[in-house]
Amino acid sequence: MGKITIAPLTRLEGHGKVTIKLDDSGKPADVKLHITALRGFEQFVIGRPAEEVPRIVPRICGICQTAHHLASVKAVDAAWGAQIPSAAEKQRELMHLGNMIHSHALHFYYLAAPDFVLGPDADPAIRNVIGVIDAAPEVAKKAIAMRRVGQSMVEATGGKPIHPVTGIPGGLSKSMSEEKRDELLAVIDTMIQYGQDGLDLMKSLNEKYLDTINSLGVIDTWYLGLVKDGKHNFYGDTLRFVSPDGSEKMEFKPAEYLDYLGEHVVEHSYVKYPYNKKVGYPEGLYRVGPLAMINVCDSMSTPLAEEARKEFAETFGRPANQSIAYNQARLIELLSACERAKELLEDPEIVSTDVKAEVEPKAGNGVGVVYAPRGTLFHNYETDDNGIVTKANMIVATTHNVPTMEKAIQQAAEVLFKDN
Amino acid sequence: MADKVRLGLIQLCGCSGCHISLLDLHEQLLDVLPNLEIVYAPIIADAKEIPECDVFLIEGGARNEHDEHLIHEIREKSKVVIAWGTCAVYGGIPGLGNLYDTEQLKKTAYETESTDNIGELPSDEIVPPLTNSVMPVPSIVDVEYVIPGCPPRPEINAGAIVALLEGRDPELPKKIVCDECPRTKENVIPETFKRTFEGTPDPEKCLFEQGYTCVGMGTRAGCGALCPSAGVPCRGCYGKTDEVLDQGSSLANTFAAAGDEALKISDKSALFNRFTLPAALISKKQE
Repeated sequence: MGKITIAPLTRLEGHGKVTIKLDDSGKPADVKLHITALRGFEQFVIGRPAEEVPRIVPRICGICQTAHHLASVKAVDAAWGAQIPSAAEKQRELMHLGNMIHSHALHFYYLAAPDFVLGPDADPAIRNVIGVIDAAPEVAKKAIAMRRVGQSMVEATGGKPIHPVTGIPGGLSKSMSEEKRDELLAVIDTMIQYGQDGLDLMKSLNEKYLDTINSLGVIDTWYLGLVKDGKHNFYGDTLRFVSPDGSEKMEFKPAEYLDYLGEHVVEHSYVKYPYNKKVGYPEGLYRVGPLAMINVCDSMSTPLAEEARKEFAETFGRPANQSIAYNQARLIELLSACERAKELLEDPEIVSTDVKAEVEPKAGNGVGVVYAPRGTLFHNYETDDNGIVTKANMIVATTHNVPTMEKAIQQAAEVLFKDN
Repeated sequence: MADKVRLGLIQLCGCSGCHISLLDLHEQLLDVLPNLEIVYAPIIADAKEIPECDVFLIEGGARNEHDEHLIHEIREKSKVVIAWGTCAVYGGIPGLGNLYDTEQLKKTAYETESTDNIGELPSDEIVPPLTNSVMPVPSIVDVEYVIPGCPPRPEINAGAIVALLEGRDPELPKKIVCDECPRTKENVIPETFKRTFEGTPDPEKCLFEQGYTCVGMGTRAGCGALCPSAGVPCRGCYGKTDEVLDQGSSLANTFAAAGDEALKISDKSALFNRFTLPAALISKKQE
C-alpha cells in the first residue's frame, strides 16, 4: 500500500498536511487532513478579566482577527447582560465589514486566483500572488485597493487594522470620526464597482473551468450560516442549518448552540470535528463559509449581490455542493459587503458618539456569534461575580470546515487518480 | 536575477498577522516586491522544501516539536534570520499558555461542553507533540535581528527590508509608547485603578494617570500609540525597550508607586507580561 504526503499545505493561514493512503490498485483508500497546531486559547483566557479577552482572542487569527474581537465582545456583553447603543452596533458592524472586505479580497485574489489566472498547471514558483501581479497587473491593483479600503475601515472603527481594540463590554471605546467616514464614503462606490469586476472575472474563468468546478471536490453536506430575517447577514442574529438536498431547515439562536453543535475528537488532528448534533456524527458533518452562507439564505440583503446570487443558483444549483464554487460565492459576499458598508456609511449614526452603555461585571454565561470570513464563529464564556472568565469554549470558523475539507480532498483524489 | 534577495517567510506559533501587516504595505508592495525573490512562504506560495535563503522572517515562536525542528532547519539554511513580530521575539499571546501545563491545555480543549467523546485525544504519533512551554525563536537559535510588534506596523516591516537591501542594520524605535501618545501627562500617580469599561476616560489626558492600567511606559514605541489613541490602555504588545532587562519588572516598578492599590489589580501576571511571558524573568507558573 502506498502513501502520499502533501506538506506543508500552502496558501492558507493555518498549519496542515494531507496524507493519502493508496490501496494495492493505486486508488486513494483513505485521506486524512491533519491540522498540526494547538495553542490552547480555551485554557489561557481563564482567569483573565472578561473585558481583556476581546483583546487576547484576535490572535487566534491575524486575517479574521476582527471577527474574533467582535464575537468575543458580544459574548461578554451577553454574559453581563449589557444592552449596547444602536450606534455602537452599527459601528461594530462596519468594523466587521471592513474585515470581510480585506479578507475576502485576500482570499480570492492572493490565495485562490493564482490557480485560475495563471492556471492550475503553471509552475509552482510563479503560481502565487506575485505571478498574478506580473500576469494581470490590473486585477492585482484592484485587489490591493480593496484590501486597503477594508483595512482602513477596520482602523477607522477599531483603532487598529490588525487586532482591533475598541470593542469593550457595553459598546465601543471610541466612535468613528466624520473625517474617516468621509474618506471611506469617497471610495466606496469604486469598491462596489471592483466587486462587480471581480464577479465578471470569475464568470469568465467559469467558462474555462466549469468542468473542473463540477467534478472536483463535489460533496453532499449540511450547510450552516448566519441570517437575519432569513436574509444573508454577516453580523446576523440567527444560525440556520440546511440539509444536503436543501429540503430541511433548522434555525437557532447563538445561546442555543450547544443543542445543535457537537464536536468529536479525532486522533489524527488537533482540530475537533464539529457536526450537526440533531443529525449525529458523522452524518451531520456540515460546511460553513461563503458557499454555505449563499446556500442557507433566502436572499442577499443588498440588490447587486442578490442579482449575483440568483445567477449563481442558476449555474450551480441550490444548494450548490461544488467546493470550488466557494470562490464565486466569496465574490458575491465581497460585493455585498461593499454595498452594505455604503448603507452604513450613509447612516448618520455611523459617527454618533453615543457608543457606550454603562455595564457592571457579574456572574453569567454568554455566547457571541458572527460570521467570520471563513465561516460562523462561536465564542462562549462563563464569568464569576467579578467578571473574571472561569470557563471558555470557542468553535472557530475553519474548524467547522475541516472534516468536510477532508471529504472534498478524498473525492478530488478519487477523480484525479481515476483519470491518471 | 542574482541581485535579488532570496527571502523566506514562515508562520509558526503565530496568527499570520505579521504576514498580513507586510501585505498592508498595499500599493508600496509593488515597489518592494521586485527586489525580492520569495523562495519559501507557505501562506502565499507553493514551495514545499526550505531552500538556501539570504533572509528568513520567522513569525511565531515554537509550541510543538515540529516548530522547533523548522527553526533549526531555517537557521542552517539562512544567512540572516529575523525573529519577526512579538510571538517570535517574546512568545506573544500564545505564551499565556505558559501559565498552565501542557496537559491542562489539552484537557481543557478536548473536554469542552460541546465535545461528545471526552477522554480521547489527538495522537502524539500523528500530530507533532506539544513542547512543555511556548519558546521564542531567540531562545532556540541565534538570530541576527528581532522586529517586535503585534504585528509590527507595515512601515517597520518596510524599513527593515529596505535597510537589509541597502546593506544596513534594521533599527528599532528606542523610545516608549508614552513618547508617541498624544495624551497629556501631569506626572501624577493614580490613587485607585479602574477596569477598561469603568467610567468614561477624559479623551485628552494620560490614561494611566486617570487610573486605567495602561502599560505604555514600559513598552517599546513603534505602534504610534494606537490603543491609547482609541481610548483603551496599552497592553504592551511591542515588548520591552533596550534599556531594561524585563518588561514585567519595569512595569511592576512603576505601578508600585501607587502602593497597595496596585496590589488590588486583578491578574497582574497577564497584565504586565501579556505578550512577553515566555521571555520574562519569571516565565512559567511554578507548580
